[in-house]
Amino acid sequence: MTNSSSLTDQVKSEIESLSASIGALVDSMQKLRHPISESHQKMPQATNQLDKISQQTLAATQRMLDTVEEINKREDMILESIKYLVSLLPVNSSAEVKEQIRIIQVAAQENLDAAYALMDALQFQDITSQQVDHAASMLEDIEGKLAHILQVVGIEDKAIHETTTQMPTKQRAFDPNADLFEKKTQQADIDELFVKKK
Amino acid sequence: MSALKILAVDDSPTMRRIIVNTLKRAGFEDVVEAEDGKDALAKLQVENVSFIITDWNMPEMDGLTFVTNLRAIEKYKATPVLMVTTRSVKEDIVEAMKAGVNSYIVKPFTPETLKSKIDQILAG
Repeated sequence: MTNSSSLTDQVKSEIESLSASIGALVDSMQKLRHPISESHQKMPQATNQLDKISQQTLAATQRMLDTVEEINKREDMILESIKYLVSLLPVNSSAEVKEQIRIIQVAAQENLDAAYALMDALQFQDITSQQVDHAASMLEDIEGKLAHILQVVGIEDKAIHETTTQMPTKQRAFDPNADLFEKKTQQADIDELFVKKK
Repeated sequence: MSALKILAVDDSPTMRRIIVNTLKRAGFEDVVEAEDGKDALAKLQVENVSFIITDWNMPEMDGLTFVTNLRAIEKYKATPVLMVTTRSVKEDIVEAMKAGVNSYIVKPFTPETLKSKIDQILAG
C-alpha cells in the first residue's frame, strides 16, 4: 500500500514538473512570437530595398552608356573630319600645321579609347546586380524558414501567412560566386581545357 | 566589316549593350539580342544567325539549357557558341564544354579577349 502510494506521489510529482516545463516552454514560445513575426515582416522590406539598389544602379548605368555612346559618335565624327581635312591640305603645308592636326587626331583617338574603357568598366553593374540578387535570395530563404517556424510552433499569424503566400517572388538568376575581381579559373587555363577537348 | 550575324543572349540590358558596342567596334555590325534562352530560341526561328554569344545565369531558360536545346536543332548543331559568364569554377566550364559551347570567357571581359575568341572560333 505504502509502495503504491509512494509511486503515485512520484508520478504525480513528475506530471506536475512536466506540466510546469511545458507551461514555461509555451510562455517562451509566446515571447518569441513577436520578434519572429517582426523579423518575418521586415524581410520583404529588406529584399525590396536590395531590388531597388539593382534597379537604380541599372537605370544610372543605362544613362552613362547613353552618354558614352554620344561621346563615341562625336569622336568618330571628329576623326573622320580630321581625315578629310588632311586630304584637303595642300602638299606644301607647313610641318607645324601637319603636327597640330596629328596632335588633334591623337587626342580624339585617346578620348575615344577612354570612352570605350569607361563602357567596359560598366560591366560592374551586371556583376553587382547578381551579388545583390544572391543576398535577396538568402533573405527570402530566411523569410520562408521564419514562416515555417511560426507555423510549426502553432503560433502562426494568419495575416503574415496570407502576405507570404500572396507575395509574388521575383525570378532571380544569379551566380552565387559572381565577383568583379576574382576569377577562379584564368583565361589561359580555360583555353587549355578547350584545346584538350579537340 | 563582317557579314556575320551574331545573336547576343544576356538577361542584363547593360551587358547586352556593352557586347553589342564591342562587337560593332570589332567590325560585327549585324547583331540580334535576346534576354534569355527562351527568347533566344524564339529569335532563332526568324533570324539567320551564324554565331551565338550567351550568358549562363538567366531567368526562364539559362544558358546551359539553351545550348543543350540549340544543339538538338539540326540547323544549329554546329553553330559556334561563345559563353560569356561570371561563372569561373572549372566544373562549370567543363559542363559548358560538354553541352556544346565552343569557347568560354569569364566576365568582366576585355574587348580584345572577346574579339580574339570570336576570331579563334571562326578560324576553326
